[in-house]
Amino acid sequence: MNDVIIIGGGPAGVAAGVYAARKQMKTVFIADQIGGQSVVSDGIANWIGDQLLSGVELAKKLEEHLKSYADDLEIVVPGHCEAVTQNADGSFHIITNKGAFDAKTVIATTGGRHRTLNVPGEEQLNGKGVAYCATCDAPFFKGKDVAVVGGGNSGLESVEDLLPYANKIYLLARRDELRGDPITQKKVLDSDQVEVLYKTNTLEIAGEAMVTGLRYEDLASGEHKNLSVQGVFVEIGSVPNSEFLSDLVVLNDRREVVVDHRTFATSVPGVFAAGDVTDELYKQNNIAVGDAIKATLSAYEYVKKMV
Amino acid sequence: MAQVTVYSTPTCGYCKMEKEFLSENNIDFIEIDVAADEQAAQKMVEKTGQIGVPQTIITMDDGTEETLIGFDEERLRGLLKIA
Repeated sequence: MNDVIIIGGGPAGVAAGVYAARKQMKTVFIADQIGGQSVVSDGIANWIGDQLLSGVELAKKLEEHLKSYADDLEIVVPGHCEAVTQNADGSFHIITNKGAFDAKTVIATTGGRHRTLNVPGEEQLNGKGVAYCATCDAPFFKGKDVAVVGGGNSGLESVEDLLPYANKIYLLARRDELRGDPITQKKVLDSDQVEVLYKTNTLEIAGEAMVTGLRYEDLASGEHKNLSVQGVFVEIGSVPNSEFLSDLVVLNDRREVVVDHRTFATSVPGVFAAGDVTDELYKQNNIAVGDAIKATLSAYEYVKKMV
Repeated sequence: MAQVTVYSTPTCGYCKMEKEFLSENNIDFIEIDVAADEQAAQKMVEKTGQIGVPQTIITMDDGTEETLIGFDEERLRGLLKIA
């Protein structure tokens, strides 16, 4: 019987892995990959201890730190957790694509993923003009007209990534103002290439083989309007990867795992969670690390009390 | 030996991860920077019908081609017999 199974390979999962190893807990670490959501980031300037590093560099550091404890941990990467159930004796049964595991405690650090618009055309045209990573895919839209949906930081940064390539960039915001850092807002608003459309609701992405347009509602007038674009970048926040826990622990209306913010215990004793998968207010790498350490120390105390 | 071609852009995180993964496992590959080579980008999109990077085309020993969209470590391990 394992003491703990850690599910998820971002900063939170790695922090939990390091602490569990140092507490000599019998640990299984399972993740699709190590690195977390920041892997796509070109430059991270707020990871404490590093003035600037790329998402890939951060991933590398996390992986090296975790693997320095390879003798003390069972690392299952790439591996994917499908479900967690509770055994009759109170321990947990974890079903993965790499077999099943049993453990006294679970720490869920599965983070979040891109929120999708959920409008007609989005799924069919994914990779055919609909994109979720401007940093990666901007060069494909050289000289083309594109739309970015989302008036927050990630939407603004996508516009920045597209500026050197795209011809015209429509930025669709839901509110009558942009959120996001003032410094990025200014750069975006100052560009002749950018047209910001406020108070909009995206209705449909049009196209057969490739994206040809976007239909939206002008919320001020109620009118439906069409944009002729060859690319649509969706940047409307994230959703927690909490599905595998939904039958076990309490989630809030955003599908985030509800935790006690002192112990990072969930509604089920023995199950802990940390980072972006939880109802933590601030979705940040540094915070995910701290939360995960609290969760791990709580799991350690929980296991100690069992004997 | 299977021939591996990786289509990438310089700023793409998953591209870097895939290329490092291949290098660490001593797999030779041809890298095409679609940000620098517009024609190659167009050819890739025509071939796979997919815009976006990374994309990997593996020509197997028997001549068949496998296309991978995104950094798909599981499939790379399977196709290239990486333990």
